Amino acid sequence: MSAIVAAPLLVALGGAIGCLLMRSRPRLLRGVSLLGGVGYLLATVALARAVFADSDAILVYYLSGWQAPYGITLVADRLSVIFIGLTAIVSLAALWVSVRTIDASGQRISYHALYQFMVVGITGSFLTADIFNLFVWFEVMLMASYVLVVFHSGPEQTRAGMQYVVLNLLGSAVMLLAIGGLYATTGTLNMADLARRLAEPAAYGIAPGPVLGLTGLLLCVFALKAGLVPFQFWVPGAYQAAPPPVTAMLAGVVKKVGVYAIIRLYFSVFAVATIPDSGGLSVVAGEPFLVVFGGVILVMALLSILLGGIGATGRNNLDELLAYSSISQVGFIVLPLAVAATTLPGDSLFRAGVLATIVYAIIHGFAKGVLFLVSGAIEDHVGTLEFSQLGGISEQAPVLSGAFFVGGLTLIGIPPLFGFFGKLLVFKVGVEAQNTIGWIAVGATLIGAILTITYVTRAWERAFWGPPNEFVEELTVSPSVVAVIAGLAIIIIALGIGFQPVYELANGATSAVIDTDAYVRAVLGPESAHAIGGGLR
Amino acid sequence: MSSNNQTTVIVRTVVRSVVPIIVLVAIGLLLQGHNFPGGGFIGGVLTVTAFALVYITYGAEYLSQNLLGISDGSVARRETQDVLDPDEAFFSGTVGRYSAVFGLGLALAAGGGLGAIAFGEPFLSQAVLYFDHIPVFGVIELASALIFDLGVYFVVVGSLLTILAVVGNE
Repeated sequence: MSAIVAAPLLVALGGAIGCLLMRSRPRLLRGVSLLGGVGYLLATVALARAVFADSDAILVYYLSGWQAPYGITLVADRLSVIFIGLTAIVSLAALWVSVRTIDASGQRISYHALYQFMVVGITGSFLTADIFNLFVWFEVMLMASYVLVVFHSGPEQTRAGMQYVVLNLLGSAVMLLAIGGLYATTGTLNMADLARRLAEPAAYGIAPGPVLGLTGLLLCVFALKAGLVPFQFWVPGAYQAAPPPVTAMLAGVVKKVGVYAIIRLYFSVFAVATIPDSGGLSVVAGEPFLVVFGGVILVMALLSILLGGIGATGRNNLDELLAYSSISQVGFIVLPLAVAATTLPGDSLFRAGVLATIVYAIIHGFAKGVLFLVSGAIEDHVGTLEFSQLGGISEQAPVLSGAFFVGGLTLIGIPPLFGFFGKLLVFKVGVEAQNTIGWIAVGATLIGAILTITYVTRAWERAFWGPPNEFVEELTVSPSVVAVIAGLAIIIIALGIGFQPVYELANGATSAVIDTDAYVRAVLGPESAHAIGGGLR
Repeated sequence: MSSNNQTTVIVRTVVRSVVPIIVLVAIGLLLQGHNFPGGGFIGGVLTVTAFALVYITYGAEYLSQNLLGISDGSVARRETQDVLDPDEAFFSGTVGRYSAVFGLGLALAAGGGLGAIAFGEPFLSQAVLYFDHIPVFGVIELASALIFDLGVYFVVVGSLLTILAVVGNE
């Protein structure tokens, strides 16, 4: 047990506290915040080295030495490390852009501390091994994001912020309710302990029926956080209202927390449970929980892809278009999960589905990071993102436009960019399934891909091509901001050309998801089933 | 606070005798909190109720200037606004000072947790020291959890006072 597991979390927490204490010294404050961002990246690298050093390491850290399932436990396995890595890179880039573009007084009073606390919450969500703590970290992340969304505090921001806050508070209340219910029915909150108990519900006196309902309720909350249809209402408003670097974080990383929670809980922890014969569920009796979740996820994914895609093609504002695109892309992210849910964790299709989701989530994180940072840079200098006021940006700011081009093409999925492999894997899962759901998925992916081509082309043609007008002619973005955005774009190209290592990392993460037994043994100890289970029964 | 809005003598007298008791109870709850009912949170909330009573009966200026010694109250800030930029006024004003307290508290709580790592124990591990044969008290227990509790106490006091000052100014 080494403290390296907690390192990213503690570094981010230290950064947040440092920012709170340094508020009266603006230059030092920015320095501390950037140092926190760099330190977070270094801590992540160290953690990744520790996790990937051993081929199937699951590092467990018991806070203040209390053993699981009683104490607070942090777990770093390959799945969490991949998502923390995404967070580290995107958050550092967005932080640098924040330092250069957010007004000095705002940065001083609250921005940096809030930003760091948001990173703390995200990291905690990826590391926690306990569903109640997942709720707590969600709250830490959301509390900070509430303030960041209304940061400019104009009338539009306040309206969007209200919507965002009310919906998410409702979501949090439902989440707490579902978690409380799960604790009442299963007697534990620890994810590993939950998995162990749900595998043999009779031995622990658990009625699987209520558990199914409660986990379904919980799924709605994660769908809300991920912005899936029909819980997508908050997305366009919040994304337009928030300062651009925050939007890049919300779209790039915060949404992925919802996706991560769905993968971790539904495809690892709850995947082992089966639906009981009694209780009026005779149609699906004896089937695994995954059948129900898969159906729900399928419907949400299809609706997201279609509604988001169609919504995006009709927008006349770059930010709004990207926000709708984000709804559609999250549909792509979870669609392979729906196909995977038709089989059991041992199946190769299951593996392929989870793998495609992880890869696509990472791609979307980088792509949306780049796109929102570009749109933010344009908004800061031109003052608007309405297509009618834009045009010819590619002549005025070629590097910035190049980054947008790369981000857009990776959303479409043009080889050799990173996005190509995401689309490829999603299609592959649908085709390999050889069943109705698989073909539905392939059809939806095709339509979604065409919609993606339409709206990306439209954004490019309306905003970046043509002769520059008088607003755009004054577009001069600070070179360091352009460099950071270009750096993210280069990462997208590099990860596409050198996809093999990424594939292997994601494959390792998929193994970590599938091997629930290893997770349970790592958290609760090798003989957990006998040692602890007997005492609690 | 305007003169036609003065609180009565009864309230002023009661508050004067009640506030020290509240603060004493708050500190008692804080010190015993790690293994008895109480703790940093409830101690902090109770302390703020004492502040709130003073605030309601004697006014915001009395609380910040006479009691806490913050020279730059809301009145003074209005006069110096031309000279100082608004950020400076914020940080030397009441709200800025109050909000600095919760930063310190958070640092204390996290620092107390990090201390455990320095001793090779997991984050947030705690230890207890007993001092035997102390006159009058018998045994005194010194728990490291007190540092964490103290941090929580300052976070609660700082944030509630900030809220009180911000809402009170409106």
